[in-house]
Amino acid sequence: MDNTVIDAHNISKIYNKENIPVYAVNNVHLHVEKGEFTALVGPSGSGKTTLLNLIGGLDLPDEGSITINGEDITRMSPNELIDFRLKNIGFVFQSFNLIPVLTAKENVEFIMQLQGIDLGKREQRIHVLFDQIGLSDKLESRPSQLSGGQQQRVAVARALASKPKFILADEPTANLDSQSANNLLDIMYKLNQEEHMTFLFSTHDQRVIDRAKRVITLVDGRIVSDTASQILPA
Amino acid sequence: MMILIMAWRNIWRNKSRSFVIILSVALGLFAGIMVQALYKGMMRDRIKSLIYTEVGHLQIHENEFKKEYEPSLYLQQLPSLIQQIKQTPQVKAFATRSIAQGMLASTTGSSGIQMNGINPEQENVVSALKNKLIAGSGFQNQKKNQLLIGKKLAKKMKLEVGNKIVLTCTDQEGNMVSGAYRIAGIFQSSNSMWDERNVFVQQDDLNDMLGIAGESHEIVILLHQDELTLTTQQKLQNQFKKLEIETWQELSPETDLMVSAVDITSYIIIGIILFALAFGIINTMLMAILERTREIGMMMALGMNKLQLFSLVLLETTFLTIGGVPIGYSSAWLLSTYLHKYGLNWESMGEEMMRSFGFSTTIYPEFPTDKIAGTIIFVLITAFISCLYPAIKALQLQPVEALRK
Ligand SMILES: Nc1ncnc2c1ncn2[C@@H]1O[C@H](COP(=O)(O)OP(=O)(O)O)[C@@H](O)[C@H]1O
Ligand SMILES: [Mg+2]
Repeated sequence: MDNTVIDAHNISKIYNKENIPVYAVNNVHLHVEKGEFTALVGPSGSGKTTLLNLIGGLDLPDEGSITINGEDITRMSPNELIDFRLKNIGFVFQSFNLIPVLTAKENVEFIMQLQGIDLGKREQRIHVLFDQIGLSDKLESRPSQLSGGQQQRVAVARALASKPKFILADEPTANLDSQSANNLLDIMYKLNQEEHMTFLFSTHDQRVIDRAKRVITLVDGRIVSDTASQILPA
Repeated sequence: MMILIMAWRNIWRNKSRSFVIILSVALGLFAGIMVQALYKGMMRDRIKSLIYTEVGHLQIHENEFKKEYEPSLYLQQLPSLIQQIKQTPQVKAFATRSIAQGMLASTTGSSGIQMNGINPEQENVVSALKNKLIAGSGFQNQKKNQLLIGKKLAKKMKLEVGNKIVLTCTDQEGNMVSGAYRIAGIFQSSNSMWDERNVFVQQDDLNDMLGIAGESHEIVILLHQDELTLTTQQKLQNQFKKLEIETWQELSPETDLMVSAVDITSYIIIGIILFALAFGIINTMLMAILERTREIGMMMALGMNKLQLFSLVLLETTFLTIGGVPIGYSSAWLLSTYLHKYGLNWESMGEEMMRSFGFSTTIYPEFPTDKIAGTIIFVLITAFISCLYPAIKALQLQPVEALRK
């Protein structure tokens, strides 16, 4: 059985083509299998966000193709892509993840509603999810009433809601103190271990890097190293 | 469903901005309704004064009379006609008149006029002549050759109550005849042009001059209700096929024309108001969208499609608009009801101008019940169209760029 979830082939993203071209992503090959817990690392401006956006179908590569779960997303129409993202990919952004006028519960429920999941299932899943992120008592809180770490945990719950093929997280801990960052990583790691949820997250935080099973390093848009972590986390 | 909740809560995010939209919708609707209320009041007032002080509901003449005002074309079957009119239940009152075109001459000059030979008692009922007197005591019963002239003509010819003037016209055989009259009063109607062209004498005096004793050229009929005009016209016309029987609309086509012209003007004014409203909504909604660029980008990234995003913007606009409608509606209702009772005085706007168009200087606005639904729909359509541009701007956002902001 083929376990490939992401297969990016020769992809490049070039900005500023007319003047001095900037290769934000330069001829990248990336293969991710189900159950991976992979960190994308590199200095600021190395192309982490651009690469995650390409894989997430938020942006189209200038060269190469990206296959998610066997489907070539570079050939999809914009509307097909929206629907594909909704059903197959979970997103956690660096900040500003939640809709401020909705409660934590509604933020998660909203995405499930867009996915067409019926009320009964939604309620059930929301309870499971909030239990997993340890925020069962914050269901009715607005994002502004939650700490940064709590907001990111809700974002993880939301990304999980649709049972996506994988979750992309772009520097999810960048704005968190170390305890909250650790806490978020714990939750992500647990989901990876217990539910085999595939995570691909970017970071330049060494403590986060240490917990990844695989570390891909980007410099100037190129992959310069791709290593399985020696120390497997407990 | 969640979109509905989001739209509702988004309105409360920037209360003062939402309040501005609600207020502009209310103001737009208020102004739109008030313009129509004023016009409706003005037109109703104009029609009332046309009917009750000028032409009556119906007028009867010999067929050819009004072409040349030939004195010999008096009503042929007068007694049976009057008999019939008296027996018609819809008729409230009537008056007989003799009419001649001629000239009024004083020591200082002369002016072309129409002489209206009338019976004061009848005329007080049918055209409220007594109420129009602003100087002099009017016709004294026994005296002969008394005359009432309009304020405008009196001013133009520098005439006063008590002055003597000479009226000249042709009699029924075509001879020039004239008579000396003394001014017994000066009248003023709400139509100054009419005042300049018309003088009143007693019917017997004029008939003497014209040589048609006991006859009349015109019968004016006042009905119990305006709505009876057409049916009564039909009924009388069937009985007197050869006579010309005209309704007030036929007698004053310019009033009919004015009503439709005023309708058009009021639509233009409403159009301008709605245009301003549209700009307010476009501006405000655009600001609301720009402020939420990142949020919208995030929602699109997660998989919210264009239709859902569009619905969100549309719903927000709809909530704001619907918030404004009852405020605008009720304030317009209150003000127009108040003014309907107490009147709105336009004196400062130029009494002369109003009078020259046949309007009185106090307007009693009338709530335009028949046009409310249409006006509200216009406001809603305007709001809908105005939110299209901001909505399109939102749809054009690229999630990647929006998220980088
Ligand atoms: N919209 C854009 N236009 C031009 N250059 C861009 C744009 N987005 C990113 N870049 C450039 O692409 C490179 C990679 O950026 P990014 O993917 O954000 O890196 P990272 O997330 O690792 O910090 C940078 O040099 C950045 O300036
Ligand atoms: Mg980045």
